[in-house]
Amino acid sequence: MRAKATWRGVRDDETGGIAAPERARRADLYGKMTVMHRIVVDAMGGDHAPDEIVQGAAEASLALTGSEIILVGDAGELGRLLPRMRHDGARVRVHHAPTFIEMDEKPAEALAAKPDSSIAIAADLIARGEGDALVSAGNTGASVLACARRWTLLQGVRRAALAAVFPTELRRGEKDDPFSLILDVGATIEATAEDLVGFAVMGSAYAKLVSQNRRPRVALLSNGTEAGKGPPSIVAAHAALVETTELNFIGNIEGLDIPRGVADVVVTSGFTGNVVLKMLEGVSETVVRLARYAHKERLTWRLGLIALSSAIDQLKAITDWQQYGGAPLLGFTTPFIKAHGRSNARAINNAIRVAHKMLAGNLCGNIARTMAELDERNHRRPRTHGDVASESGAGS
Amino acid sequence: MTRPSLLRRMSTLPNRIGQRIGLFDHIPDGLPPGATPPRHTFRWDLDKTYLRTEFDSLSDLVKSAVETAADKQAYPGATSLLRALRQDGHRICIVSGSPTQMRQVLAAKLALDGVDYDEFVLKNNLKNLLRGRFRSLRAQIPYKLPAMLQSRIGAAADAETLFGDDAEADAIIYCLYADLIADRVSLQDLERVLIASRAYDDDAIRILDLARRVPRHDAVNRLFIHLDRRSAPVGFRHYGPRLVPVFNYFQAALVLYADRVLSARQILFVALEMLDSKQYELGHLATSVQDVIRRGRITRETALLLAAEAHEAAKSGALSGRNDLPPFELIADAFRKRVQELGPISPAPIEPDAPLDYVRLVDEEHDHRRSRRRGGH
Repeated sequence: MRAKATWRGVRDDETGGIAAPERARRADLYGKMTVMHRIVVDAMGGDHAPDEIVQGAAEASLALTGSEIILVGDAGELGRLLPRMRHDGARVRVHHAPTFIEMDEKPAEALAAKPDSSIAIAADLIARGEGDALVSAGNTGASVLACARRWTLLQGVRRAALAAVFPTELRRGEKDDPFSLILDVGATIEATAEDLVGFAVMGSAYAKLVSQNRRPRVALLSNGTEAGKGPPSIVAAHAALVETTELNFIGNIEGLDIPRGVADVVVTSGFTGNVVLKMLEGVSETVVRLARYAHKERLTWRLGLIALSSAIDQLKAITDWQQYGGAPLLGFTTPFIKAHGRSNARAINNAIRVAHKMLAGNLCGNIARTMAELDERNHRRPRTHGDVASESGAGS
Repeated sequence: MTRPSLLRRMSTLPNRIGQRIGLFDHIPDGLPPGATPPRHTFRWDLDKTYLRTEFDSLSDLVKSAVETAADKQAYPGATSLLRALRQDGHRICIVSGSPTQMRQVLAAKLALDGVDYDEFVLKNNLKNLLRGRFRSLRAQIPYKLPAMLQSRIGAAADAETLFGDDAEADAIIYCLYADLIADRVSLQDLERVLIASRAYDDDAIRILDLARRVPRHDAVNRLFIHLDRRSAPVGFRHYGPRLVPVFNYFQAALVLYADRVLSARQILFVALEMLDSKQYELGHLATSVQDVIRRGRITRETALLLAAEAHEAAKSGALSGRNDLPPFELIADAFRKRVQELGPISPAPIEPDAPLDYVRLVDEEHDHRRSRRRGGH
């Protein structure tokens, strides 16, 4: 949405006074208007910042020749790091930010105390139209809050959603993607039926673009597969989603269906999504700890693990979250990839590439268009039981 | 015994055929007697410096060999930069590692680009092959250094600027040449470097003789290394402030502006050629300015002065007929903004020129090349 045409890289804000008709006239005459994606990176956010963040951005600059990467952070430090890395000096620029928010700081307080922090300035750059997408591995709460306070939601979207990927048994899309998408995982704690429908649209659009999955299967997370199961918001969302033709809605799924990969996009409220995600992460960690215990405990178990080691390595490679770069915050007019706090250069490079893909594929535009289509249909169709249930808060 | 006789037999072929197959060396004539010596000589490498050439694999080599002049691509901005230097009456000398058999096509490419030059030296690898000198096929120092020394003996300028790339040993050769003509490297040191670079004995004797005769002057004040492989700029820091790694020719032009070699108007033409290549946008050029400031290669004041002077040049018609660009004031504002984005920081100082251990550098380059070959790139 924000990737407006430029005068060869000088944006509207920089060309200021040129009237749109004059720009259009010149573009028609010479056909030389081009689009350069400007990806803003919070260079100071993350456990391994700024070294790994700068390294990832430097690597991305070599591949994404149609883009410009804006590193926001301590210009002195970034200027010291960049020349040590292979990069393209015409495609990585530095925007000075004197402070940054630590990973363990309280988001609201930290943002208030540090208005010149790297994430605040990065979000500001986007809000002023000087950037087209944001990537941050910093404090999640502060990053989301900085964006929510400055950015505008897409038309038709009521709440933003943070999406996370999770490895599953089944693969999907042209890329044979082993990850399913689960959203929201924490941006919107309580979601209404309308919010959940919005999440479904956003998740589906993201899976189509990033996983190259032409018709991703979308499901609501509930305590049963029947349409009437679950809290009122889920029941109402189910009723609304069943009627959509834009989405491949497969109904409700239960928690155990998530790792099986029954759905490509799992829709839930931020509260439930966060609990589910952390439980799944906890289970994975426990499995690893049990394997370590087994490794120490008996020689036969150790030999068994050694025999399985190549298969385990392959599994790790397949389910490597770093290839996804991070979790997209969907719903704003600008893409935001929240990279994992532990992100290394590879994860940041991939996060930037995903952000570039979102811009090149006009993800935000696609979401807005689908939301508009849904909105138009909702205005045309008569009120249903689902609408009444949603508005009254009653459930079955 | 057969090899010299074959060479002797081939040397007796009619001159035209000998030239055609690239058997003969092209030795630059130098200046005619009584001619005024040049003020400033610019020495350029060709492949990966002026021309976008790939020769990392056999297929790249074959492709490069069969390409026509029209197929060959110059790096954006390089042609305008060379033309601007030539228009100012500077001497242009091209020393390339391409084989002499490529002379026709390369000369045609330079003619197509409207690049005029005084010297154009290519490597006679056919002769090396016929003489069984296989080490010479890849050797850079024993080839380029004497070519540059010979050229300087023929026409010694007070100032020299050298352009190379990060693919081969250009940085080492150029610094060695600069230090040699400035009398900072002795003939004994040069001999050690030639041994390290595995030069054949007779080549080493010839190079030492040229080094003895070359006019001494601290003439080389600027060396540019085009980062074709996008090498980390810090890898060139030990060569001192005179060597500037550049990502593109707009950056080289900016440094030459700071050196008072190019005018703001000439820089505009370099920028326009880069924009016309469609590989760069104004934003990329503005970021290139920020990059050279950040690396301490030009000052903020120079960048702002350039913006002011370029504005005057634009008003006097340098951008006339370019309706595809926004008004110059807005371009200049965008450039100023990039400079301001750096905040109050000052770039890290670049270490002053210190004596270089060329033997160590040559050894490291050999190791590096070997590991690159092993790694397949």
